[in-house]
Amino acid sequence: MSFAPRPPVQPWAKANIGRRVQVAAAIIVPATLTMLFNVLTGLDPNISLIVVFLPLQIIAASLVGFKAYGSRGIGDAILVVVTIFFSVFVLVLLLSVLGSVIVEGSKAISWQFLSQNNRYVSPTTSLDYGGVGHALLGTLMVVGLTTLAAVPLGIAMAVYLTQSQSKTRGIVRTFTQALSGLPSVVSGLFILSIIETTQMGRSGFTGSLALFPLMLPTVARVAEEALRLVPVDLRYAALALGAPNYRAFFQVILPAAKSGLVTALLLGLARIVGETAPLIVTVNANNGTSWNPFEGPMATLPTYVYNYLSSSFMTSQQRAWGAALVLLMLVAILFGLARFVSRSKSLKSKPTKKRASK
Amino acid sequence: MISSNTASTLSTEDISVWFGQRQVLSDVSLTFPANKVTALIGPSGCGKSTFIRTLNRMHELIPGAGLSGAVYLDGQDIYSESMDAVSVRINIGMVFQKPNPFPTMSIKDNILSGLKLSGRKIDNAEELVETSLRRASIWNEVKDRLNDQAISLSGGQQQRLCIARSLAMDPKVLLMDEPCSALDPGSTRRIEETIQELSSSMTIVIVTHNMQQAQRVSDQTAFFLADDNTPGGVVEFGSTEQIFNGPIDQRTNDYVNGHFG
Repeated sequence: MSFAPRPPVQPWAKANIGRRVQVAAAIIVPATLTMLFNVLTGLDPNISLIVVFLPLQIIAASLVGFKAYGSRGIGDAILVVVTIFFSVFVLVLLLSVLGSVIVEGSKAISWQFLSQNNRYVSPTTSLDYGGVGHALLGTLMVVGLTTLAAVPLGIAMAVYLTQSQSKTRGIVRTFTQALSGLPSVVSGLFILSIIETTQMGRSGFTGSLALFPLMLPTVARVAEEALRLVPVDLRYAALALGAPNYRAFFQVILPAAKSGLVTALLLGLARIVGETAPLIVTVNANNGTSWNPFEGPMATLPTYVYNYLSSSFMTSQQRAWGAALVLLMLVAILFGLARFVSRSKSLKSKPTKKRASK
Repeated sequence: MISSNTASTLSTEDISVWFGQRQVLSDVSLTFPANKVTALIGPSGCGKSTFIRTLNRMHELIPGAGLSGAVYLDGQDIYSESMDAVSVRINIGMVFQKPNPFPTMSIKDNILSGLKLSGRKIDNAEELVETSLRRASIWNEVKDRLNDQAISLSGGQQQRLCIARSLAMDPKVLLMDEPCSALDPGSTRRIEETIQELSSSMTIVIVTHNMQQAQRVSDQTAFFLADDNTPGGVVEFGSTEQIFNGPIDQRTNDYVNGHFG
């Protein structure tokens, strides 16, 4: 029997030319009409996009849908148009936020902006001097301290909630969920009251304390979901081989849940890295570089942005944009790093040479 | 084949089982002699799988589980205070209905996982891997890809890998809960051959819904049945020959001849 390779075929993906022309027309005609309408009436384009373009587009798509599939095609067309329209709407919003930070922030960014501190900077100092190095360092230390405490404890909570059969799990879960709704400023005020009553003095560390109740429930809940996704069969398989509970957990369940636990870490980080309010009330601002998170004032990126954004001077506002961009880049780097670390381990056992199994 | 352990006799005395307040098994007393294969048959929901899980203390992992009676491994009650569940499970291996290799480990690591998980030292890893895979008749299919992920294998291969994983622990007793229910005839046949070979070095208890399989592999058979809203129990227990060709109880006769269940 001879075998000649043929290109793959996808009969379900066929669309004839006529249909494609109709779809194109259903987009071009409403768009043209909307532009004409704008030119004639002088209506704000943002408004006409919703009150003119969207209804026209729905009508046009419904006509095409009706022609192709009958009355069933109308509902289909409306859903497709509305879904795509609002998806693009949200996407544009997101991208414009990101875009404005990148465009405005990149004007301030330079090596010196990343490395220098703010000590001799006045509101009108040129962007060639000073930077956010001290705030970057402060954010890394404050967030790092919180992460060191919240991630192990959050994962431990998730282990307790998924692996034990304790009767108090329900209460713990309820309190965790309640805690995740805690407004961040309340967390800051709580630590502030401790600072005031104990006279302990503000530092980066008190900021970490204020961020801790925000990160813990996020990590715990996401980690719980990740551990719950590991099939119970695997645990039984390990126990049936004579594994004590702790070995079954560390050697089988934990590796299987690894990527989910990294997600828990990332979402926890994302939750606190941009928090401003708790840091404003618990950490004194600092223009100089501080290497000691346990004593004295300390700058962080969110509070830096907050301080400069309210200024009326152009260079100050640009410093705020620059710091915001640094914050975004920091988050992106941390995310990339965490994903890389969690992936490189599972790639270690590369498949050896492939051979047919029989 | 290398085997330092010898087979053991396993027996149960008046095993009754509860889930919460509901009793699902009542007074099961069976003996599984060394080097014999025992098949547990019966319609779905009669408690066979539950019963087999009491034999290596897997039953107690289910929240709300209850149990009375005793299980003796060479005369020692595995539920007595001096025994711990971990050492029981090291001696009494188990193969589950659904293949469950560890997805994060390679084929080789899956075989060695039992030793690692029970905290024992591994000498001669290579030899142990080969021996275990050979005993489960899967060596020829995987010998060139021992470092591949275990989940890259087909379902039948995964199940034989799980058997090999249990064999690497050199158990005295091997429990199999419908090990072929998800497999094609070829894989089923190979697993049945494996069972026959293994019975020379261990005691085997197998749950099966397949009458022909029970006849092919087992020396003795126990027929379980649960009437409506009553706990399940053993209707008849004897040599496979007797259960299939001359059952005493009418219900056994009806079941093995396919009249119900």
